[in-house]
Amino acid sequence: MPVVKLKKYRSIANRSLQNVLSYRFSYVVTFLSNAINLLAVYFLWAGIYGGRETVGGYTWDQMKTYLLVTFLANSVLSWYSETAISGKILDGSVAVDLLKPIDFQTARFSETLGTSLLEGGISTIILVIFSFFISGLALPHSALVYVLFALSLLGAIAVKFGVVYLAALLCFWSTGSMGIVWTRIALTNLLSGALVPLAFFPGWLERTALLLPFQSIIHTPTMIFLEQAGTLESLKLIGIQCFWGAALWIAGKFMWNWAVRQVTIHGG
Amino acid sequence: MSIIEARGLSKSFMQAVKEPGLAGAVKHLFIPKHIEKIAVQPLNLSVEAGETVAYVGPNGAGKSTTIKMLTGILMPSAGSISVNGINPYKKRMENAAQIGAVFGQRTQLWWDIPIVESFSLLKDIYQIPEPVYKANLDQFTELLGMNEFIHLSARKLSLGQRMRADLAAALLHNPPILYLDEPTIGLDVSVKQKIREFIKKINQEQQTTVMLTTHDLGDIEDLCKRLIIIDHGSIIYDGSLSEVKSRFARNRVIFFQVGVPMPELYNLLSQTPGMKLDRQNEQEFSVSFDRYEYTASEVVSRVMKHGEVIDFRMEDANIEQVIKAVYDGNLDLNQKGE
Ligand SMILES: Nc1ncnc2c1ncn2[C@@H]1O[C@H](COP(=O)(O)OP(=O)(O)OP(=O)(O)O)[C@@H](O)[C@H]1O
Ligand SMILES: [Mg+2]
Repeated sequence: MPVVKLKKYRSIANRSLQNVLSYRFSYVVTFLSNAINLLAVYFLWAGIYGGRETVGGYTWDQMKTYLLVTFLANSVLSWYSETAISGKILDGSVAVDLLKPIDFQTARFSETLGTSLLEGGISTIILVIFSFFISGLALPHSALVYVLFALSLLGAIAVKFGVVYLAALLCFWSTGSMGIVWTRIALTNLLSGALVPLAFFPGWLERTALLLPFQSIIHTPTMIFLEQAGTLESLKLIGIQCFWGAALWIAGKFMWNWAVRQVTIHGG
Repeated sequence: MSIIEARGLSKSFMQAVKEPGLAGAVKHLFIPKHIEKIAVQPLNLSVEAGETVAYVGPNGAGKSTTIKMLTGILMPSAGSISVNGINPYKKRMENAAQIGAVFGQRTQLWWDIPIVESFSLLKDIYQIPEPVYKANLDQFTELLGMNEFIHLSARKLSLGQRMRADLAAALLHNPPILYLDEPTIGLDVSVKQKIREFIKKINQEQQTTVMLTTHDLGDIEDLCKRLIIIDHGSIIYDGSLSEVKSRFARNRVIFFQVGVPMPELYNLLSQTPGMKLDRQNEQEFSVSFDRYEYTASEVVSRVMKHGEVIDFRMEDANIEQVIKAVYDGNLDLNQKGE
């Protein structure tokens, strides 16, 4: 894409960041509740591990790390981005976007990146605070792992955006969209490994989950950070993320073309 | 070729018919029933570059539907449109770059960031060169009096402020074509005036083609030389505003205030064909007459023959009355411009 074109979208990302900054208060509340949630999950797992060496192949130290990484990966594209896209469709303001010389999907992705920057930043702070109080985290020692991890987080954003975007566009088809949003969240949480590591699943479910895009969102970054995947394996996992990111992006394009037809035929 | 050109343009919607109540909703779920609602009948429209056109008609006439088709956000059921040589529906992005649009009911500004930030985002979206952007922003801020609220977010603006900001937003990239769907809805007189002056100036300075829908007849009289009236989806008049006035507003009214009551004059006037007397009280009355039968001076001199006239004022052909008569179906305008 030529530079001038990119500038449009960089600008959109910037404004989106400004926009969420104006919701400072609700952000504080959201992150407080996230932190409390994290604490709850932490103690839940502490209880499960009580006296046990490993659960499903994870040591307690690994599990603690898993929880923190999950928290980070989950927060970079959260509730706000989610509701912003489906909200546009539900309240009909998508017509305003149709009047602009911008690509809807790229614009939404830029907005998401803008907010992810903030959300990622805040969760990192929470995580650093947390890690002061928790001992024995399984932190990787090689810089390469951190680089791969950062890449996998970007991949996770791309894949999660793809899933969120497709789900949001489904709202064109059914106006009672909160159902779609909730279903999507439940599916993503379960199949990405956000609830429990995929390794805890029965064999058939784990195999299925690994074939689906959702695992790229949580499973992949945790595998890399916990060094459960070697360098080559990590690169392969990131490759899979790229594949899903691209596939979902293209699916999003098709779906958008369909959605635009709905709007322009039936009226926004 | 005209800058806006539509041929046989029409639009019909499928409207769901649901019987009332839960039973109706359930029934609709299994056997959905739809009726076809024709919002715009096949119509032809040509607008020349630099024209200002008022597109009026009663509620539900099909004005917004037409504008939406012209802007490319609604797909026509049939017919063709060319706006500056572009089919707005097929080349939506290209078309979007050359038009500005304000839908009075909706805003294109970001809710939670300052108006200036929304503007500078538009600068990047439309790739407006810095000097053009700067000049426009300064000029618009001054003309629309936006200084006091340009640093607020759209959420905090009053309706009139938001509308001014929206209008500026639609014009920052100097579009050759501007569509306004009810740009003065719900605004006070002074803001309306500002907006009208602004549109007029932009039209004169940049030859921007303006097409606006409105229910405010002041907008039409102030801004538009050409009037298109649409009713039930068909164009029933397309011509100049002054022509519609002179052709259809034949009625003129003169209000008199006289020194002493003039019973014999009242008798006389009531019996004159083509004149109508309306008495407010002993010393105040009005005479309405057909301007093609009598001149104003004839009427006045007749009254003056009977005694002293303290004051009089004349009410001229009023577009409001004409359009009302058309809406009410009391006036049959010949189809024109087909
Ligand atoms: N999305 C839609 N689905 C079904 N019917 C619609 C839709 N949009 C408009 N209509 C119908 O089309 C007709 C014309 O509507 P339109 O909005 O063009 O009227 P209008 O002239 O703009 O009226 P107003 O002055 O009230 O704004 C109306 O009868 C309306 O009910
Ligand atoms: Mg309308």
